[in-house]
Amino acid sequence: MPQQVQQFLHALVAAPPLNGYLVVGAFLFAIGAWGALIRRNAVVIFMCVELMINGVNLTLVAFADYLPNAGGLGVSYAVLVIAIAAAEIAVGLAIVLAVFRSRRTVNVDEVTSMRG
Amino acid sequence: MTVAFAFLAGMTLVSALGVVLSRSVVHSALFMSGSFLGISGFFVMLNAPALAAFQVLIYVGAVTVVILFGIMFTQRPQVRRYRTIINRQFWAGFLVAAGVGAFLAYVLSAEDWGGTKPGNGPRQVAAFGRDLLGVSQGAEVFTLLFEVASVLLLVAVVAAIVVSRRKMGQGIDRGVRE
Repeated sequence: MPQQVQQFLHALVAAPPLNGYLVVGAFLFAIGAWGALIRRNAVVIFMCVELMINGVNLTLVAFADYLPNAGGLGVSYAVLVIAIAAAEIAVGLAIVLAVFRSRRTVNVDEVTSMRG
Repeated sequence: MTVAFAFLAGMTLVSALGVVLSRSVVHSALFMSGSFLGISGFFVMLNAPALAAFQVLIYVGAVTVVILFGIMFTQRPQVRRYRTIINRQFWAGFLVAAGVGAFLAYVLSAEDWGGTKPGNGPRQVAAFGRDLLGVSQGAEVFTLLFEVASVLLLVAVVAAIVVSRRKMGQGIDRGVRE
C-alpha cells in the first residue's frame, strides 16, 4: 500500500482536533443568532435560542473531553444548562400562549405594548 | 472518526439553517430536532454517552413535542412568503451573525489550548453521576447547583401553569364552563 494512502487512512480514523468541535459550536451559535434576529414568529425565535444553547453545550463538552485539567466537569455543567433551557422553554411557551390568547398573534413585530 | 465528524457537522449546521430559513413553522421544528440529534452524536464522540441519552430524551423528545404543541395552539393558516415570516433585517442580521460566527471561530481556533488530547471525559456513567452530585474531588459546587436546579424546575412548572392559565371570561372560550 502506498505511503499516501496509508496516511490518508490514518487521518480518516484519527480523532478530530478540538478546534473542529469549537468551530462547529461557534457556527451553530451564529446561525441561531441570525434566526433570532430575523424571524418574526415568537416560537421560531425560541427554537433559534435553543440552537444557540446547544452550540454552547457542544463547546462545554468538547472542552471537558479535550482539556486534561477540566476534570470532565463540563459534562455536568451541560446537564445543568439542559435543565435550565427546559425551564426556559416551558415558561416562554406559556408566555407565548398568554400573548396569543389576548392578542391573537405571535408575531413579535405586532406585540408592542411595552415599547417606551 | 473524521467521517463521522464531517457527517454530524453537516447534519447539525444544515438543519440549523433549515430552522432559520424554512417557510413552514412545523418544518422548522422538525429541522430543529435533526440538529439536536446531530449534537447528541457529537456527545457520543466526545465520551459523554449519558449526556447523549439526556439530549435525545429531553431535546429530541420533550422540547420538540412541547414546541409542536405551542405551534398547534398558536398558528393560523397564513401566506407563507418570505416577506411575511422574515423582517426587514435579513441581510443586516446575516452580516451581524456572520461576523459573530467568524470572530468566535477565529478566536477559538487561534487560541493555543495547550496539550489537548481526547479521552478525559467521564465515560463511566458512575463517575459522571458522582460529578453531577458533587461527591467526587473538585466538584463540590455541584451539590449546590443540583439543588438550585431542582428548585428552579419546580418554580418553572408552577410559573408555566400560572402564566398560561385561562382567566375567567377572557380570551377564547370554547364553551367550557369554569
